[in-house]
Amino acid sequence: MGAVTDDEVIRKRLLIDGDGAGDDRRINLLLKSFTKWCNSPGTPEEGFTQYQRMLGTLAQCEFSMGKTLMVYDMNLREMENYEKIYSNIEQNIMSAHEKITECKKEIQRAKRIRKNRQEYDALAKVIQQHPDRHETLKQLEALDKELQQLSHIKENMDAKLELRKKQFHVLLTTIQELQQTLENDEKSDNDDPSQESPMENSE
Amino acid sequence: MEPVELLHMSVFSQSFSPCGRFLAAGNSYGEIGLFSLAAALSPDATAANQKPVLTFTAHKGPVFSLLSNDCVLLSAGNGEISAWSWTELTKKNVKPLWTKRPNYKSGLEIPEINSMVLNPQDNSLVVGAGDNNVHVLDLEHGVFKTVLQGHTDYVHCVCVREREAELLSGSEDGAVRMWDSRTGQCVHCIEVYKYESCARPQYGKWISCVTTDSDWMLCGGGPSLSLWHLRSLSPTSMFPLSGCQRQAAFHQDKILAVGEGAFVSHCLLGGEVKAQIPCTPSSLNTLQLNSNSSEHRVLTVGGSSSHVDVFTNLSYRAFSLSF
Repeated sequence: MGAVTDDEVIRKRLLIDGDGAGDDRRINLLLKSFTKWCNSPGTPEEGFTQYQRMLGTLAQCEFSMGKTLMVYDMNLREMENYEKIYSNIEQNIMSAHEKITECKKEIQRAKRIRKNRQEYDALAKVIQQHPDRHETLKQLEALDKELQQLSHIKENMDAKLELRKKQFHVLLTTIQELQQTLENDEKSDNDDPSQESPMENSE
Repeated sequence: MEPVELLHMSVFSQSFSPCGRFLAAGNSYGEIGLFSLAAALSPDATAANQKPVLTFTAHKGPVFSLLSNDCVLLSAGNGEISAWSWTELTKKNVKPLWTKRPNYKSGLEIPEINSMVLNPQDNSLVVGAGDNNVHVLDLEHGVFKTVLQGHTDYVHCVCVREREAELLSGSEDGAVRMWDSRTGQCVHCIEVYKYESCARPQYGKWISCVTTDSDWMLCGGGPSLSLWHLRSLSPTSMFPLSGCQRQAAFHQDKILAVGEGAFVSHCLLGGEVKAQIPCTPSSLNTLQLNSNSSEHRVLTVGGSSSHVDVFTNLSYRAFSLSF
């Protein structure tokens, strides 16, 4: 267990050390120089220069720490940005999917409409081949009128024929009656010859 | 199968399983081949997936017609109809559920069955047979209940007009007859070759394909493929396709037709031919659209070749299944 954690620690240190080699060494150096400065018997000038040098090293360490903090902040913000872009793109994909389904429905509807239109056209073509209804009606009316006229004429002719027939009938019956009377007279003449001449005179 | 046999094979009929994952194709040797569409359409399909998962001999003569209902595959061969259970077939068990034969009058010849269609209204099977009659089999009781007589030559194709409860049949004698499915009387008889606009005397008068969507009817064969308005019984448009069409279907706003010629014709209802998509067989006999499954919506065509072309997008051939 200890070995594993040691390895991990070493690995982590090696990883981080690549960047912080300067920093780690600087901090160690600072500590060493601080202890040396505290225990140094040297002149106050040397002590002052060493003090200044230590302040400089401290400032450097603070500076690099500040830099790292800012880089960390920047990374966090970049991550947020990427998350935003990611969700944006996801939304776009969803809306594109919806649009696609809408368009598919539109296509189906348009195909149905086209089919109906074509059926209508096909039927219209057939209907056009038949003659116009008004014309046919007009023709029918004209024919009706002709028919009426002709039947009228026929009636007139029939009436005339009837009249003539009746007249002829009357004439023929009168002639027949006269013939009958003449024959009767002839017979009565044969029986009575004295009354011939007045009969002939009356004819 | 010998290469020579494969060369001379023709696919006459196809049917999709009720789940939409399998395709059954019947060929001229009396065999039915079962192809797994799910395997062939999957992204990691190999050449082996385009071979049938099961091939069995169903009839002695060619299988001219295949039909599926919810659980059963019906196949028509040399004058007899056999039923196979789909669940059994997927388990590779090839024993038919039943085999029936319509009552043929003449005893010497066995007339072949050219076409069958299901009438969902009274659960009956309408069979167009070579003895010039249309036989209706009641699937519930398994008895042939009516025989529609009237054609003077063998019946090529039958279809059902659902809204009016009528059956239509097209025959070699050039007539398309409409029968009332309840009384069995012939309601109308259209002799297509007598109409000048459709007739093509150089090909003959036979009608080989009839299909309807209750208001309109497509019929073709010897005469050119034409669209008829059924209420007025008048032809409305003619399709200028060379060759005789053997099967046609209404699909959304277009008409798909196959026949002589190595292509599938897409036509508009107005009579113009919009596209002719080339396929492998040199002439096509059958065309089927898979409407049983939403993920395997394909069009498959088969004809005078051992290959069955599969179209995932109607505009081009995706791949071919072969026996």
